[in-house]
Amino acid sequence: MRICCGLTNHLELAKRPDLYGGPVIVGGWEENVIASSEEASPFGVRPGMPLRHAEHLCPHATFLAPDPDAAAGLRELISSALYDLAPVVEVRADGIAWLDVSGVVRSGTSIREARRRLRTAIGREPRLGLGPGPFSARLAAASSRPGRLVQVEDPRAFLAPLASRELPLDEEQLERLDLLGLRTLGAVAAIGPRELESQLGRAGRHAVLLARGDEPGELTPWRPPQFTCAHRQFEPAVEDREALLFVSRALCDDLASELGLRGAGAKRVRVRLVYEFNQPDERESIVLHPLSSQAELFGLIGPWIKEWQPRAPITELWIELPVLEAAGRRQLRLWSGGDGNSEEVVAALERLQERHGDGVVSKPRPALLSSPLPNQRFDWVS
Amino acid sequence: MQELDHAINTIRVRFGSQALTRAAELPPPQPWSSGTPLDHLSGIEGIPRGRLTLLTGSGTCGKLTLALGLLAAATREFAHAVVIDARGGFKQGSSRTHGEASEFVGNFDPWTLLPFDPELRSLTVVRLDPEASGEAATALARAGAGLILLMGEVPEQWLGPLEAGANRSGTVLIGVVDAPGRAFAHASSLSLGFSRAEWIWDRDQLVGLRTIARCLKNRVAPPLGESELVIRYPLGPRLPFEAPVLEVPLHAVELECASAVV
Repeated sequence: MRICCGLTNHLELAKRPDLYGGPVIVGGWEENVIASSEEASPFGVRPGMPLRHAEHLCPHATFLAPDPDAAAGLRELISSALYDLAPVVEVRADGIAWLDVSGVVRSGTSIREARRRLRTAIGREPRLGLGPGPFSARLAAASSRPGRLVQVEDPRAFLAPLASRELPLDEEQLERLDLLGLRTLGAVAAIGPRELESQLGRAGRHAVLLARGDEPGELTPWRPPQFTCAHRQFEPAVEDREALLFVSRALCDDLASELGLRGAGAKRVRVRLVYEFNQPDERESIVLHPLSSQAELFGLIGPWIKEWQPRAPITELWIELPVLEAAGRRQLRLWSGGDGNSEEVVAALERLQERHGDGVVSKPRPALLSSPLPNQRFDWVS
Repeated sequence: MQELDHAINTIRVRFGSQALTRAAELPPPQPWSSGTPLDHLSGIEGIPRGRLTLLTGSGTCGKLTLALGLLAAATREFAHAVVIDARGGFKQGSSRTHGEASEFVGNFDPWTLLPFDPELRSLTVVRLDPEASGEAATALARAGAGLILLMGEVPEQWLGPLEAGANRSGTVLIGVVDAPGRAFAHASSLSLGFSRAEWIWDRDQLVGLRTIARCLKNRVAPPLGESELVIRYPLGPRLPFEAPVLEVPLHAVELECASAVV
């Protein structure tokens, strides 16, 4: 597993980029601080502390009420933006974006693009970390500067000098670690998982594995929403059927590219015409096989438009795909080039072997690469 | 000008409207970004898919090294990268020493590929006599192999089917020859010529060469000028070798620290 972590502001802060540069504290009245900007940190403000305490420490800060819906919306936006860069993507509201880039053909390009998209979404340079698991990647990102990448090759050595407060434990458990004298991750890693489990329960075992760089945790992959639609508003209202066909074809193209990105197909298609004066008309159909390309979608919708008898000039055209299903392919940009033709290429090679002999086609396999004798360096498989 | 228009009209009347097409009217080929300096020379920021690209030059001039760089990039990116050893003179396990490239064009040795960090699982080597190599290349291009490296010329009668097959599947065709024949040169869409400028020596040891890469023919974009490339040979008896410098640095995201100690 190779995880890239992009560390940005808490999403509660990121939804107000106009406040960047000054101390900002997010939290409900009579509650704890949910997020605080970097500018508030020098005053001792930390997430989790009572808001009254934070106000006392940094009275000139801007205080914001939490808006979980807006943060969740931003999280969805970032997740969908990163979705085609890695097979597994997880974005958390506290500003952590993880991408599992193991197996990605051009992981460097994915990381570079993730940096660009995070910067576009948040408005600030993310800190980047690359490690064998989410925990070490997050700590690597925390130790990097904005826009830079820190790569961890030996997680145990990297984690050893860091404070044990980085472990995902509650305050009481962290205090207990402190009382036990386990103040660094190296000290936690040195004791056995069972010993700490007897002190802290299951969380103790988990903490030891994390400190050793074993990374027991896995990412929770983000899945795209199961509904999509596209619409066009006409000003002035349209009466021409050719114009409707033209627009519906363009909308099908937009929807197809979105479906392709998600690897989804439409199981149900609905077209809605909104008239200038009358009630809207709609037509809906359930299809046997999920439609995913522009040709398939327009093949269904085009005839509907052609035979439709609108009652009045049309002001809006909606194409909705309320039920999506996997279309047998996903995240196409991650595939190796020519994967789809692999069987045909293998068959062509086999035909060559039939005609010209087995020895015609061979694949090199490394054998004794350091051998001084050239013929020992590779095995040749027909 | 009128005479030229008249000639064009005559050809179209005699051989059909498709016989001649203005370059500007052709759909631009999709580029395959290989990450080597050759991408910039093509004018489309990549090697054209579905077209034949020739790397030519006499003697040791770096064409084979650059072809190996392209092949290694293709093994990492495509499911199938195929080398067609058209000369049939393949010596299994033979090693290439510097300065002997001219003798070894046509003899593919995976050992020479190792410095470019290839993904050997995707690599297939097809060894055939020159007559059958055209048939093999055409079959593989039609099937949709990602990249085909031709270590020698393809017979003239197979050039048309080869180009059509590659065009349909988007296969990247690279040919490496000292001096191409007329048919092979005519079939290519992009032809890059290499000429060695000087050897690079370090402590009395040959460590590389400086070569001039020129765009001799370009049917995919306006021809660009030339570029000077520095090719460094891998040195030392141990693996992994030092990476050759011909690859364009991919790390726009700056690597701050590659070790465990921060």
